[in-house]
Amino acid sequence: MKGKAERDRLALGRLLLIGVPFAWLGLFFLLPFTIVLKLSLSEPALAQPPYLPIVEWVEEAGELYLAIRLRVQNYLTLVGDGLYLAAFASSLRIAATATVLALLVAFPIALGMARCPPRVRPFLLLAVMLPFWTSFLIRVYAWMGILKDDGLLNALLLTLGLIEEPLVILNTETAVLIGIVYSYLPFMILPIFANLEKHDPSLLEAAVDLGCRPIVAFWRITVPLARPGILAGCFLVFIPAVGEFVIPDLLGGADTLMIGRTLWLEFFTNRDWPLASAVAIAMLLLLVVPIVFFLRLQALGRLR
Amino acid sequence: MTTARPVREARPRIEPWQDPDAVPFVRIQGVTKTFGEVYAVDNVTLDIFKGEFFALLGPSGCGKSTLLRILAGLERPTSGRVLIDGQDMTDVPPWRRPVNMMFQSYALFPHLSVRKNIAFGLEQERLPRAEIAERVAEVVRLVHLEGLEDRKPDQLSGGQKQRVALARALVKRPKVLLLDEPLGALDKKLRDQTQLELVNIQDRLGLTFVIVTHDQEEAMTVGSRMAIMREGQIAQIGTPSEIYEYPASRFVAEFVGEVNLIEARFASVNGTTMRVRAPALGIEIVTDRPVPALPGEPLWVAVRPEKMSIAKTPPAETGYNCVEGEVFDIEYLGDVSVYHVRLDNGLFLRATEANKLRLIERPITWEDRVWLSWGPDASVVLKT
Amino acid sequence: MRTALSVVAALASVLLVGAGPARAAGEVRIYNWSDYIDPEILETFTAETGIKVVYDTYDNNEILETKLLAGKAGYDIVVPTATFLARQIQAGVFQPLDKSKLPNWKYLDEDLHARVAKFDPDNRHAFIYMWGTSGIAYNVEKVKKALGTDQIDSWDYLFDPKYTNKLKNCGIYMLDAPDDVFATVLRWQGEDPDSKDPKVLEKAAEALKKVRPHIRKFHSSETINAMAGGDICIAMMYSGDAGIARQRGAEAKRKQEIRYVVPKEGALLWFDMMAMPKDAPNPDNAHRFMNYIMQPEVIAKASNFVTYPNGNREGMKLVDPEVASDPNLFPTPEIKAKLFVITPHDQRTQRVLTRLWTSVTKGR
Repeated sequence: MKGKAERDRLALGRLLLIGVPFAWLGLFFLLPFTIVLKLSLSEPALAQPPYLPIVEWVEEAGELYLAIRLRVQNYLTLVGDGLYLAAFASSLRIAATATVLALLVAFPIALGMARCPPRVRPFLLLAVMLPFWTSFLIRVYAWMGILKDDGLLNALLLTLGLIEEPLVILNTETAVLIGIVYSYLPFMILPIFANLEKHDPSLLEAAVDLGCRPIVAFWRITVPLARPGILAGCFLVFIPAVGEFVIPDLLGGADTLMIGRTLWLEFFTNRDWPLASAVAIAMLLLLVVPIVFFLRLQALGRLR
Repeated sequence: MTTARPVREARPRIEPWQDPDAVPFVRIQGVTKTFGEVYAVDNVTLDIFKGEFFALLGPSGCGKSTLLRILAGLERPTSGRVLIDGQDMTDVPPWRRPVNMMFQSYALFPHLSVRKNIAFGLEQERLPRAEIAERVAEVVRLVHLEGLEDRKPDQLSGGQKQRVALARALVKRPKVLLLDEPLGALDKKLRDQTQLELVNIQDRLGLTFVIVTHDQEEAMTVGSRMAIMREGQIAQIGTPSEIYEYPASRFVAEFVGEVNLIEARFASVNGTTMRVRAPALGIEIVTDRPVPALPGEPLWVAVRPEKMSIAKTPPAETGYNCVEGEVFDIEYLGDVSVYHVRLDNGLFLRATEANKLRLIERPITWEDRVWLSWGPDASVVLKT
Repeated sequence: MRTALSVVAALASVLLVGAGPARAAGEVRIYNWSDYIDPEILETFTAETGIKVVYDTYDNNEILETKLLAGKAGYDIVVPTATFLARQIQAGVFQPLDKSKLPNWKYLDEDLHARVAKFDPDNRHAFIYMWGTSGIAYNVEKVKKALGTDQIDSWDYLFDPKYTNKLKNCGIYMLDAPDDVFATVLRWQGEDPDSKDPKVLEKAAEALKKVRPHIRKFHSSETINAMAGGDICIAMMYSGDAGIARQRGAEAKRKQEIRYVVPKEGALLWFDMMAMPKDAPNPDNAHRFMNYIMQPEVIAKASNFVTYPNGNREGMKLVDPEVASDPNLFPTPEIKAKLFVITPHDQRTQRVLTRLWTSVTKGR
């Protein structure tokens, strides 16, 4: 039997332990979120800072009022002007396509790594992470050199005689997809690899022994078991890809419409911080809420 | 473990290997498997008959698991052939073999329920749903898994997992069921019980089982015959009693059960009686199983400790199969006691006696002067 | 108005509002366009005065403006373009300059400063650092191949589908700067380039939409590399950027001859203005630096380096004749007469303009 004092101490310890992630969440997510939310309901102004406060003391006929002005127009603009919905839809589409492509590229790589002898794996992991030692921006610039009309790729294809005219890839959506897939590939490979590495190889042998061809065993055993890794990888690629700004800016063409770019326009060119904040909030709600909901369903599914 | 458990003879046994006309069901012919420079399996030839519960026994690394995986098709032999039911299986991939395996780790699919795990193999055969359900239900009853069908593997105990693994392989109605250390993860009591269950199931279904184990007791309990393997080769094949009573080499004698090994030299053979001299003991040893040998050839005599009698008075005949010494130590193991006797020349021999009397009434104690003796039928002469 | 590297690096710094390093007594903190000064000038200033220069760069007006509007940027001197400056003055971002501390003010070009008084009444807050135009840069050889002529003298070549259709395959870039592009299109259409009328602006947008399919990219900073590397053949460009592209193209392994012109319809004239934020931590040192840069020989050195004309009457006389001889970069009086300026847009016009811009660039 534990003494009451000891129990209390344990309870306090547990509270602290749980409290740390919550404090983290509060400080680095909830607080900024609240600030942006407040901003999204204020009115833009030519001032420093370029918006009006939403809470003000107002004196009227000698009486003091606490006036709260919430500008809903920012959100109405989002819905009213098709641009924002279109940008959002286009971002989702590009991010989803890139995620699927990244998955298709990453899975065989992760599988190959996981099947390698354990002593080789650290080197392969290092190789996957090696690009991170170079600045992200430089790597995207490098892709411009590869993809441009007289770039490496076209030179190669022309030399091989596969094409007769240079392909226009740079400044198209294809280039954006290539850029996103390349940049986020490690985020897809690593969680899938971490998952596959833990798979018991005898499971596949058992499946084969029970009458599966290896390809069927792959689909029925490896893929379902890799689901948590695949999901983690997809979220790690999809979420930042939706808000991606640099890659479409550098590799994309004039008609590549993405929400990150729209937000940039509102924030910098229009100096409309409130509307930019509204875009950010809407993006968060449209993206994070369904994901949280989805993960919650997943968790419930596991319990059952 | 000081004594091997008596071989269970509860059921009448057919002994096809005694029948010169019987056709072996599984034939392993000159199979060799190398991993780089290492010979995991070295030119093994082995016949297993229909309905046998065949045990592959040996220390770890002896190649028994590799041999089993060759049967399953999970490893390709470097050379040699494997035939099952008359068909050459050497080039048949595992998914087409009429063979199923129960893995040491059970290899249950963690994302599938018990029911789905068991049905997995049948779904690959594209059987009608109703038939799958029926056969799954049947095998679930057989291994007593009723009520657990919807659980996931991580919600099962070790014994339950073991039974799911068994059911998953059995439901395919394989011609040969392979079991790779199937009971290794269970505690002793559960293991003993499961061994008997396995035998009963095998008996009832009339299937051919091949089990790999490093536990000689298990091999002897379940096996109709067993093969002792050492360094990729088969050291001896036989029924458990044959192997226990008449080991073919010092390795087998020492690996299966406890044994006293005495160095000896060939003296003479007279009909069914063979005499050897044990210079270290200064006695002659008589056996009723002669082996061909040259005069003076170095031999070994194996005597099981439980076949040695221990007494404070010399036996009637002391000229052979009898040595004198002093009780150096007594191991009390409950059912039996092991007497470690130091001979006058410093050698040790062991004798086992059943504790028919209470400890307190035991007539022999430490530092007693004793005589160890055994019958001609208890001495086995070994050449290697 | 120089744009060189990328928008992105600066973006990160903007979001770290007010997180500047510690402010020592003997320093001046300058925030200027990238590649917009001869580094030797900074070294000499420090050598002469003992004041350490902390020098940061940006490459577009929006980044600077966002930082200024957020406040406490921690800079003593910034260099916005005049139209932006005007709006920022209204927002109360700048402090008036103390001209008693700027004896070299007398060297400044009175005529030019009279023109920018439109943005900064009485030149209270700023003076002209450099100025330039937004014209057409083109690759002589490639354009000749596409059109049969290498004499580009009109905005027709960028705004008339008849020509852009022929040029689209060798590559057309457009500035990603709605103010500049709209003003230029309006001028080309014969409208008031400074119009704030949504209907007029819409007409310009319609014209742009017609050539939109032929334009490969709208970008302000990548054009230098694309032009110098021969990836594109024609672009709307800032004069100094075109100067750099011309220089790089001439030095490149595969030589590219780049030419910059102010078309006959005219081009937008812009001024980059040196000003001091209200919350400048070292106003005295800032005045000293400004006075230093107003010295004719110092500003001439800067012009030699960045190939832009400056706003200094005496300084202009000292610019290297080789640099000053290009009438398109250093406009002659005849060309000067064709240049025009615009005034800042109010919030509503700005929104209309940006929205039209998006509808042009994104086709929505």
